[in-house]
Amino acid sequence: MRREAIAGLIVWAAVCVPLAVGKETAKKLLGDESDGSRAYSVHVIPLYAENEKGEKGERVDPNAEQVMPFSTRWTCGECHSYGTISRGWHFNAVDANVPAGRPGEPWLYFDSKLGIQVPLSYRPWPGTFRPERVGLTPFEVTKIFGRHMPGGGPGEITAIEPDDVAKQYVSGKLEVNCLACHNAHPGQDQGSPTGYAVQVARTDFRWAAAASSEFADVTGSAADMPATYDPFMAEGEGPKAPRVTYNKNAFDAKGSVFMQIVREAPDERCYFCHSDLSCAGGDEKPEKWSQDQDVHLAAGLKCVDCHRNGLQHNIVRGYDGEAAESGNTMAAATSCRGCHLGDESGRRPDGGRLGAPVPVHKGIPAVHFERLTCTACHSGPWPGDKTVLAKTSRAHRLGTPNVAKDERVLPHVISPVFAKQTVTDPNESRLTTPKIGPHKLVWPAYWGTLTGKNEVEPIALATVSKVVGAVMKDANVPSTGDWGEVKEEQVAKALKALGDSGEQKPVYVTGGMLYQLNDDGTLAGPKEHPAAAPYLWPVAHNVRPAAQSLGVGKCTVCHSPKSPFFFGKVAVDSPVASVSNIALRQYEFQKVPHGRTWAFAFSFVFRPWFKVVAIGSAGLIAIVLLLYGLRALGAIARVLAEQE
Amino acid sequence: MFQTITDTALLVTFLGIAVHLTLYPTRLPRQAATCRLVRGSVHTLSLLLIEQKSSLLGALKKLVYLVTVLCFLVLAMTGFWPLLVRGQHISGYFMMIHATFAPVFALCLAILAVTWAGSYSFAADDCAWVQRLLRRTTRLRVPAEERPWRCSRLLQKVTFWLILFLALPLILSIIVSMFHLLGTGWQHATLAIHRWTGLAFVIVAILFTYFAIRVRMTDEA
Repeated sequence: MRREAIAGLIVWAAVCVPLAVGKETAKKLLGDESDGSRAYSVHVIPLYAENEKGEKGERVDPNAEQVMPFSTRWTCGECHSYGTISRGWHFNAVDANVPAGRPGEPWLYFDSKLGIQVPLSYRPWPGTFRPERVGLTPFEVTKIFGRHMPGGGPGEITAIEPDDVAKQYVSGKLEVNCLACHNAHPGQDQGSPTGYAVQVARTDFRWAAAASSEFADVTGSAADMPATYDPFMAEGEGPKAPRVTYNKNAFDAKGSVFMQIVREAPDERCYFCHSDLSCAGGDEKPEKWSQDQDVHLAAGLKCVDCHRNGLQHNIVRGYDGEAAESGNTMAAATSCRGCHLGDESGRRPDGGRLGAPVPVHKGIPAVHFERLTCTACHSGPWPGDKTVLAKTSRAHRLGTPNVAKDERVLPHVISPVFAKQTVTDPNESRLTTPKIGPHKLVWPAYWGTLTGKNEVEPIALATVSKVVGAVMKDANVPSTGDWGEVKEEQVAKALKALGDSGEQKPVYVTGGMLYQLNDDGTLAGPKEHPAAAPYLWPVAHNVRPAAQSLGVGKCTVCHSPKSPFFFGKVAVDSPVASVSNIALRQYEFQKVPHGRTWAFAFSFVFRPWFKVVAIGSAGLIAIVLLLYGLRALGAIARVLAEQE
Repeated sequence: MFQTITDTALLVTFLGIAVHLTLYPTRLPRQAATCRLVRGSVHTLSLLLIEQKSSLLGALKKLVYLVTVLCFLVLAMTGFWPLLVRGQHISGYFMMIHATFAPVFALCLAILAVTWAGSYSFAADDCAWVQRLLRRTTRLRVPAEERPWRCSRLLQKVTFWLILFLALPLILSIIVSMFHLLGTGWQHATLAIHRWTGLAFVIVAILFTYFAIRVRMTDEA
């Protein structure tokens, strides 16, 4: 009897305890689910730091002797599932299981003296390189580009390189900085001399989130500390040691802090990473006040009205066909088509969301919607006779201290380029329809080696810096931050030096061309090569109002022999003068033949005459039909009348 | 669907012509019929060998007809070839050629409408079956027609007027879409109207040509 009882107890425990535990681990945290209230939740919360083991540490006390920066993982993570959030789109670039989706803006590593401008991305976008292919570890990527990252991603990868392991112990990991998006306080500091971006550049990863907040100040630099420095020990601190000082007035009597947290990120938070500026060239420098913002924002919408996400932070990117690739259920509804037109096959009307005007597109043949994206006519700068340079937050460090403001500063991002992009038809997920849309473009420039498969593998930046740097050490780099002029003789010397250093078949890729050495050591090139192809990514903003869309009022805006849409020049960017003097045309990126495109554009000269002749002929035929029809009626009437 | 219907319609048309020709031959010896068929076709297509006493106006009318036929062939080819052969909508060079010949065709068709309307007017002897019907069903005194009823001539006239009737939606459906009048939904509709009207137009034009040849052959019999 006793044995049976004990056995039953064991079975019960074996069944129920895992269930209970499982239930506990699946349980959502307080902030994971909304109760439906649209009011803001007031965040008066305690702050927690992370301890040396990477676990939840002590509660932050501003009066303590050893004050550590608060950790968003352990502070925000008390109520919001940090693990779930950190797998969201902004943080999951390093996850190979995440579909890459439509190509987006890469990180651009550049070095004017070495003649390098290379697009990097952890996402497998064709034309970009994974940072490790150029010898950049996740730690280094975080240090260089983390200024415009919201944390997470490569910043949370545990270092494996011996140097990086030691550095990471000092610096900490760059956690997801929830405040970068969700702190509505005007004191949220991403770009000041003591703000987030500067702390990241100093590898003060552990301190970056605190530095960005309005109630903490961070001094010092982890990058200047020796590998033996222990940030968790108060002893041995010097003036360069990273240190956080909290505003004691921000803490209430219970030691909690009020944080102005909002669910919907304010536009200014998005703008820190997602601003861009078109440089029209000439004497007039572009200014924010002279360029209109996106028409959606001017109409009162917020960025997050379209770019939505739930707890998973799988944010809507807003492109056609995203619904087939993204797990976000709002992806289709918040694309251009989804908001403005809705699902025309649906049982209920869902176009015109958020007050979006339903377009009629009077006079535009339907073939345009098969060949062009919405953004082709409605987004980006108005196409001119030649492309212009554009600046973006992530490429040009906009909003951070000591940014070079010259238009020609590297990296050179060229815009707008009307090129074909593959769009997944939302109605048939397998169907891909190449459509023309506006893009930004960058011409990669890098040193590499030619493999047996006629592909180019980039050489590690450290090697290039050492070998090519020695050749180019006397090169003049303009103060504007533009390319220094690289002559072909220098290219030849650099290639020879790389070959002597052990690199097999070194090449230099620039401006769509490739240089290599012949067997006799002379320079061969420049010649076209697939590896030198430019990298393009679609442009969606700023959206212009309908009255400023391409083709408004006149077909000849695009369909004429001098139209910038087809025949505008696309600059080729390279430090080598003989390559950068080449100019391409927009139609080459649209993959349409020049002759046919020109002939079709020219035919529009005769279009008014076409209309006159056709209408006149139709009128004449109608008169003949009417006349003889009336005569026939008259004849019938006469016959009937006579017979009576 | 349009491709299938077009294939079927054209096939049915040509088969129908073949059957009609078989069932209702022109009652001429085979060799003579073949010879007359060729001559009739040439006459019908060129209209340059008849009426040796034709005036300048007559020659111009024949030239207009020749241009019309040429334009029609080009338009039919450029309009239907991409669809029937490649399964694609018209685009590129085909589109440009189609758009170039279209106004010429429209103008020539209008001229033909004006110059030929008189000779293609319906007369009492064109409607023998109507006369018979009236005599049998009403108390109208309709004289019996002694001359045999010329079926081909009547059908030729019918197809002529059908061509003119179909030309209006064919031309206007494309012209209207070029103005800032119609939204996307109506653009699709006008394109569909142009497509289907074009199909009907081609079929009627083929029938018109067939009956014209028959009439020419019968006249020379």
